[in-house]
Amino acid sequence: MSGWEIMVPGICGMGLHLKMDGFRMVYTAIAVLMWGVAGAFSREYMAHYKNKSRYYVFFWATFLATVGVFLSADLYTTFIFFEIMSFTSYVWVAFDEKAESLQAAETYLAVAVIGGMVMLMGLFLLYGVLGTLDMDKVGPAAKAVLAGRETFENGRAIQAAGGFASPKVQLYVAGGLMLFGFGAKAGCFPLHIWLPKAHPVAPAPASALLSGILTKAGVFGIIIVSCVMFGNDGAWGLLIAGLGLITMFLGALLAVFSVNLKRTLACSSVSQIGFIMTGIGMSCLLSWAGEGNLLAVRGAFLHMVNHSLIKLVLFLCAGAVYMNLHQLDLNDVRGFGRGKPELCFCFLMGALGIGGIPLWNGYVSKTLLHESIVEYAHLLEEGVLAGEEGAGIISTVPAALLPVLTDPAVWKAAEWVFLFTGGMTVAYMVKLFVALFVDKHPVRQAEFDEMSSHYMKPLSRLVLVGAAVILPALGMMPHVTMDRIADLGQGFFGGTGHAHVIAFFSPVNLKGGLISIGIGLVLYAAVIRQFLMRPETGAVGTEAEASGGDKKAGVRGRCYVNRWPSWLDLENLVYRPVLQVFMAVASVVCRALDHMTDGAVVLLRKTVYRQLPEPKAHLEGNWLAHLLGGIVDGFGLLWEKVSGKSGDGQVRVSAVHHFIEREKQMKHMGMLVEQSFSFGLILFCIGLCLTLGYLLFVFIR
Amino acid sequence: MSEIILVLPVLLPIVSGLAMLFHRSGGETGWTRNRAFLTAGLVLLNSLIVAVILAGGVDGERRLVVFRLYSSLTVMFKLDRMGAVFAGLVAFLWPLATLYAFEYMEHEERRNTFFAFYLMTYGVTMGIALAGTLVTLYLFYEMLTFVTLPLVLFTLTPEAVRASRAYLYYSIGGAAFAFIGLVFVLGYSSIETSEFVAGGMLDLARAGENRNILLLAYVMAFFGFGVKAALFPCYRWLPKAAVAPTPVTALLHAVAVVKSGAFAILRLTYFSFGIGFLKGSWAQWVVMTAAMVTILFGSSMAVKEVHWKRRLAYSTVSNLSYILFGAALMTPFGLAAALSHMVAHAFMKISAFFCAGAVMHKSGKTYIYQLDGMGRKMPVTFGCLTAASLSLMGIPLFAGFVSKWNLAQAALACGDLAGTTGLEAGPGAVGRWLPCAGVVVILISALLTGIYMMTVLVRAYFPKAAQAAEAMVPGSSREGEPAEPDMASEETNGGIDVTDPTWRMLVPLVIFTVVIVVIGVHSAPLMEILMRIGGEVGQ
Repeated sequence: MSGWEIMVPGICGMGLHLKMDGFRMVYTAIAVLMWGVAGAFSREYMAHYKNKSRYYVFFWATFLATVGVFLSADLYTTFIFFEIMSFTSYVWVAFDEKAESLQAAETYLAVAVIGGMVMLMGLFLLYGVLGTLDMDKVGPAAKAVLAGRETFENGRAIQAAGGFASPKVQLYVAGGLMLFGFGAKAGCFPLHIWLPKAHPVAPAPASALLSGILTKAGVFGIIIVSCVMFGNDGAWGLLIAGLGLITMFLGALLAVFSVNLKRTLACSSVSQIGFIMTGIGMSCLLSWAGEGNLLAVRGAFLHMVNHSLIKLVLFLCAGAVYMNLHQLDLNDVRGFGRGKPELCFCFLMGALGIGGIPLWNGYVSKTLLHESIVEYAHLLEEGVLAGEEGAGIISTVPAALLPVLTDPAVWKAAEWVFLFTGGMTVAYMVKLFVALFVDKHPVRQAEFDEMSSHYMKPLSRLVLVGAAVILPALGMMPHVTMDRIADLGQGFFGGTGHAHVIAFFSPVNLKGGLISIGIGLVLYAAVIRQFLMRPETGAVGTEAEASGGDKKAGVRGRCYVNRWPSWLDLENLVYRPVLQVFMAVASVVCRALDHMTDGAVVLLRKTVYRQLPEPKAHLEGNWLAHLLGGIVDGFGLLWEKVSGKSGDGQVRVSAVHHFIEREKQMKHMGMLVEQSFSFGLILFCIGLCLTLGYLLFVFIR
Repeated sequence: MSEIILVLPVLLPIVSGLAMLFHRSGGETGWTRNRAFLTAGLVLLNSLIVAVILAGGVDGERRLVVFRLYSSLTVMFKLDRMGAVFAGLVAFLWPLATLYAFEYMEHEERRNTFFAFYLMTYGVTMGIALAGTLVTLYLFYEMLTFVTLPLVLFTLTPEAVRASRAYLYYSIGGAAFAFIGLVFVLGYSSIETSEFVAGGMLDLARAGENRNILLLAYVMAFFGFGVKAALFPCYRWLPKAAVAPTPVTALLHAVAVVKSGAFAILRLTYFSFGIGFLKGSWAQWVVMTAAMVTILFGSSMAVKEVHWKRRLAYSTVSNLSYILFGAALMTPFGLAAALSHMVAHAFMKISAFFCAGAVMHKSGKTYIYQLDGMGRKMPVTFGCLTAASLSLMGIPLFAGFVSKWNLAQAALACGDLAGTTGLEAGPGAVGRWLPCAGVVVILISALLTGIYMMTVLVRAYFPKAAQAAEAMVPGSSREGEPAEPDMASEETNGGIDVTDPTWRMLVPLVIFTVVIVVIGVHSAPLMEILMRIGGEVGQ
């Protein structure tokens, strides 16, 4: 499809570059739809909040930024809008200003800022290596670098920025850094920590957008890095596919354990992002193996679209619950949905969609993704990589990765991870559905039933149902709707090969979906019912029986328990301690350095450049007097302390003076003696006696 | 002759400042309304003169020899593009800062003394901007120490005395090192005097013989001038000097004084020694490393600091070294990037300081943990602070992003150059990765900036629940009674009925914010000028 292009030179340094094509059009349309629905829903949801204007300002600011991300035609523009989006959406998370929200917002902001900076580093490096950030030019340039050529098509020499490593290595580093930045926003495995915390605390319309489309902005970046830059690189494909599989499994696992309505949905988002990333990874791998990668590309793209639409519906349903109850714990909201057909319909559409049930939209994209893994495994079994042509392909990746890349068994295992995760998806959606619409609240059920008529205003009801109807409409006519959407989007991914019409409802394709559903039901019955629930504790149960007067009083409720060990939290277990240790070390080093210069100056002043001491006033008396006086003073003080008496009125005179006085007297006396005549005579006598004595001594001897 | 006008913006503030100092006009503070008008008029007049001068052309042809100290020691003013950028920046900021100072200082004693020295500093800073020779620059550099000392000392608290003593020791010590550089530049000059010539004026034939000694002299001078630019390890005076009144910390310790240091280093590197002589030498890697260490160190210390103005001062330490890092790249683009950060940082940091000052002035709160919920009470102030913080972090749409982007690009390009020109094995190998490491350093520092600026904002906008509840309680009714500036007295001014300050504080803040955004969104004209400056010095 031909689109338009806008370049605004000079804005923000390098100028903005926006573009419209099929993929971008689909996502702009989705953004408009989602913001429209969420905005309409917000009118009721936000009615009782006091900072409404702040919410709406950031709501629409984020809209503009998000559309800017999806329309951007060079990575510089992407980065600018991406950062704006991160900061404006921060306000959503922190919106209700509870301690929990602020904590989540802190994590969100930290991940966003770190991700942004790392991405910027990647952009610097990429720009240094390729000399361009334009998405159309990055692809060929990157391929030239990966192929080890010296120049690009336009004859520009490849320069390694700074020359500290080969251009190829630098390109991988740049790609890794950008993957980090975009992956952080998308909620990819080691950086998903903010997502299960931030989504539940934001207002529900905002959570729908955070989960439905802001994560997709991250995925958009991952697509650029993976499909445009490393489109046919095996090692990169393996990395993305591996991360995708881990993310999908882990997210689903967290969702199964979660007992909070919105948290479950948030974890489910993590898991679905994993599905999308797996698709992106598989597209790289298929393209690397020299085959058409359309299956994977279309699967990944359609799953993006589906997930956006499904999560919009599901989060708004959760919003409808929260709006009335201001609670999200499954035990508290149990049974709220009973007798509310619209809510039930909408939630059911979302649940069936995301669970991959045939005839709903999630099934189509999941089938495509599943088929792409099957096809890759099949290719390996056929021995596509074995021949002479295969040797050429194989030589492009490090030898250490080959056992993983070429062993069909690994990809069979990947397929089973995929199916099992699909099963978990079904299981946690059944769990939510049963909790909301089947279980009964032991205490407040009557109250809940009463709300059935006025739990949602007509406008909210209308947009919610409208959004929910889209899902089966897409799923039931895949060739009319979804294939066309996929046709629009696949060009952006660089999809190759020919699109053959896939019979989505053929037995082969149904098999995968049915296996997942089977696994899901078994998981629900065997694990969730048995292990993650326990009978209601006595007190509540009896109270319910007593107060409710329920006819089925004998049926004890079962409540949900959170069996996830609380210490098992990547953020608290790893990131925060690492950060704290780092900060502690840095703090010590900084403090030492901080005092270094001043310390040196002070040291010099005290030693080499010490000023001469002031001449001291001459002391009265000699040292003996001071010593003795001091001792006596000391005893005096001691005595006062011991005896408790103190001369309150009079100031005690130091004994030193007394001794000095005495010394003076003695000196004076001595002087008198020395100067007297008799003293002279005595000395003369002594001398005479000594002389006589000596003479006698000599004479006798 | 029309060149005589060059001396006006330097002499006018100095002379009138001295006159104000010695002619006291009654009253205990020696300050009257008329005198305020007079001061404002003088500052405005001076800025107008600067504007007239800049409008007359900045091609470096206009020069004015004032006098000769001794044979080749010429004191000369000269206007070239780089001087024009600094002079224009200072002339733009000074009137606004003076306006702010009128409100901030309105309850202080000895206002006459304060404004007299404030005015004199203007003249001295213009002297640095317009200096045409290294000797002139050195002269005004020393003068700057002495005219700003009373401003640091102003409050006369023991803390201020200690701070001014540290300032004096460090500055004089630094100037001594700078003097060594001056001596060598004069000794090896190819044009007899120490006049600045784009691209350097060393006699390369003679200098080549004593290359290492000259490089040593350069490193010494770099660190010497680096004292005013708060280069590690001689930065300690700057956070201490945060005890000075906010107009001083904001204008002098975020722009005039510290940028004079950075400006002197740019002059020394690009206009005296010349990048042809320095590039690729060990001296370049030494000074670049020093700048990188300071960037990281300043940011780390800012994260630890809880006193708001001191935190901003540490942030200044870090940001000044961005400029020095640009200088140490020794490429034309490096100079342009350094100057762009000089301009951008001037606006965002003065804005941040003014916000801190406004909060101190209205509520007496000086520590970050006291700021809970202030964002609601002073919306305009904190709006401006938000823009300044995001800009400092380097978020797109704000000026800081543009300058950081330029710096990083310049660093990577510098790495390119070192890699391809095949320098000798030793320093050349360092040259390959050091600039790239610099980019990493800039980004880590940006991250730390995010931590230390965002924590302030988060506290101000999203107070912890308990404190928020307490803040809601209507309290004492001391309307409009401002706090004593500088003295933290949050008990008496519980900050219950704190509002935005009056227009005299808000107008400068809003103007700065607008400038930050304008530069951030449309930086092309500015960068064009700066790139031309870069083009002049490059080969």
